[in-house]
Amino acid sequence: MRAPGLRARVTTGFAAGALCLSAVMAVVSYQITRQSLLAEREETAVRAAYYDAAIVRAGMSARDPDIADILSTIDTGESRRAVMQHQQIWYARNADSTGISAAVPETLQRRAGEGHSATQRIRVDGTPTMVIAIPLSAETVYYEVDSLAELDRTLRLVALVLAVVALGTALVGAALGRYAGRYVLRPLDRVERAARDISAGRTGSRLDPAAEPDLADLASSFNHMVDELSARVEKDRRFAADVSHELRSPLQTLAAAASVLDRRRDKLDERSAMAAQLVTDEVERFQRLVEDLLVLSRAQRAAERRLADVRELAVKVCRRCRVDEDRVEMQGEPAWSVDARRVEQILTNLIENAQAYGGGVTAVRLVLVDGRGRIEVDDDGPGVAADDKPAIFDRFVRGRAAHARADGRGTGLGLAIVAQHAAAHGGSATVLDRPGGGARFRVELGGCRP
Amino acid sequence: MPAVLVIEDDDRIRTSLLLALEDEGYTAIGAANAEEGLSEQQRRPADTVLVDLMLPGIDGFECIRQLRRTQDVPIVVISARDDTHDIVAALEAGADDYLVKPVAVKELTARLRALRRRGRMLANDGVRTLRFGDLEIRPEAGEVRLGGQEVAVTRTEFQLLCELAEHPGQVLSRPQLLQRVWQYDVGDERLVDVHVGRLRHKIEFEPGAPRHLVTVRGLGYKLQP
Repeated sequence: MRAPGLRARVTTGFAAGALCLSAVMAVVSYQITRQSLLAEREETAVRAAYYDAAIVRAGMSARDPDIADILSTIDTGESRRAVMQHQQIWYARNADSTGISAAVPETLQRRAGEGHSATQRIRVDGTPTMVIAIPLSAETVYYEVDSLAELDRTLRLVALVLAVVALGTALVGAALGRYAGRYVLRPLDRVERAARDISAGRTGSRLDPAAEPDLADLASSFNHMVDELSARVEKDRRFAADVSHELRSPLQTLAAAASVLDRRRDKLDERSAMAAQLVTDEVERFQRLVEDLLVLSRAQRAAERRLADVRELAVKVCRRCRVDEDRVEMQGEPAWSVDARRVEQILTNLIENAQAYGGGVTAVRLVLVDGRGRIEVDDDGPGVAADDKPAIFDRFVRGRAAHARADGRGTGLGLAIVAQHAAAHGGSATVLDRPGGGARFRVELGGCRP
Repeated sequence: MPAVLVIEDDDRIRTSLLLALEDEGYTAIGAANAEEGLSEQQRRPADTVLVDLMLPGIDGFECIRQLRRTQDVPIVVISARDDTHDIVAALEAGADDYLVKPVAVKELTARLRALRRRGRMLANDGVRTLRFGDLEIRPEAGEVRLGGQEVAVTRTEFQLLCELAEHPGQVLSRPQLLQRVWQYDVGDERLVDVHVGRLRHKIEFEPGAPRHLVTVRGLGYKLQP
């Protein structure tokens, strides 16, 4: 699996940090809120219980008091219920409340029995409840059972709100992380753009070390690297140019001299004529080889793009190669922003390849889709064996068909040149099987619409 | 027999070119450097001059400029250098064509024939005047006037101008112009661009903002009043 990108990591980090911080904040605030709400509630409940207990105590001072009657005089509201234990007997305000006495915990009863007033929080049927015990005399204890359901609901709501806020904070953190990531990485985008420019052949592209002081070191190392690389490339290029120059001059002599020999072939004896023929043919091949090598050595340079009518180019190449120009199919706009000389070379090499090894051209297709140009040349040959496909665009590689029918004309560089020209246009060259037999050479060119 | 002057410092190349050109029916004269070539051309003007760029002493560019000062003879550069920079500089100096060594003899003679045909077309009778505002072109007389003043153009420039003038307002693409003016099926479109540039310096008041000879982006060139 691919490691997550720097941007993703920064975003995740910010989100996790925000989530941790807000979660801690939420838990702490929940606890504080809960404590203070509970304490307040308890205080209120205790005060109310003492007040009620005073009323009950007053009622009990009468002779033969009716405890149920006394209890019914207390206004306990909705949440509080009053219970009394007098001489080991439980009294409640009405029958349905008697069950409550069972809820009064033993520990509380014991403490009340010792004459201490006390409170305890318990759960009754899942509802948090507070029980307050106030001893009225040695044998009488007044209890008040106070349901905390409302407080519980409030606390739940608080918890929910805090959780939502925590999540929201995490999301805001993530967004902030994304923004920060993008902001921090913006200088790296410039590096990326420069690198892309350079790999596309625009070797003049450099970074400005002053633009981002923190990245000044990176910028100057980058520039240094590009300088070194372009110096090396320039040296190679100059070497190729020098070699070509040194080869071209003697080749000019050979070409002219061979043509003189060729003209006089019928005046020569048979052996000399054969030798003259060989010299003429080989000089021609040598010429093509030097030409192709030169083209290849220059093919890595940036494409000199200009709007060109590719249909016209294809028709021109077809005419020159004696291919029926009706085989040219154009789909979409024919004006492409390309290096016309290179596209012409691509077309020429593919068509000559199809004629030499593919039994002739059956179609030349030019398609423009979404700014990408596609050139396809179909042939009528045996197709390219699957084993040969990956290497067929390499230098000096000839497919099986080429070996079988080699006529000595090919330099083994034609398809390599095609691939290089495609790459200079930000594209690629591939070979496919044509439906119905034969090979289909496909060249994709990027950025064909300005 | 058409005469060709070959200015080339490499003895073997010069000798082989002379042999091959004589074989093809030309009277070929050799010169080993620019000075020799220039004085030869003064003495016995050839119909076409082939010139190498890397010459000892006066180099090929200067040689072309000096020839152009007095003559409109077709000049063809044959050089081992194929940098755009060299090609453009040679054409701007006044060359009509630029060939990169090694040139096949058949190719060379085809180009020489095309250049001669261009020269002969001027020799017809009947003088028409094609007007484009203040620009007047007389194809048959080989004359170009701008605001009444005669403008000196080379044969190739004149042929290019006539081709555009014969199709007023119509856009001609670079390959079309290469075909019609240079008679090339395959050729370097920079030939067209450089000649258009040279023409603009002669027939436009502001070559940077041409009024007559305008570029139609992505299509080619046209001539308009």
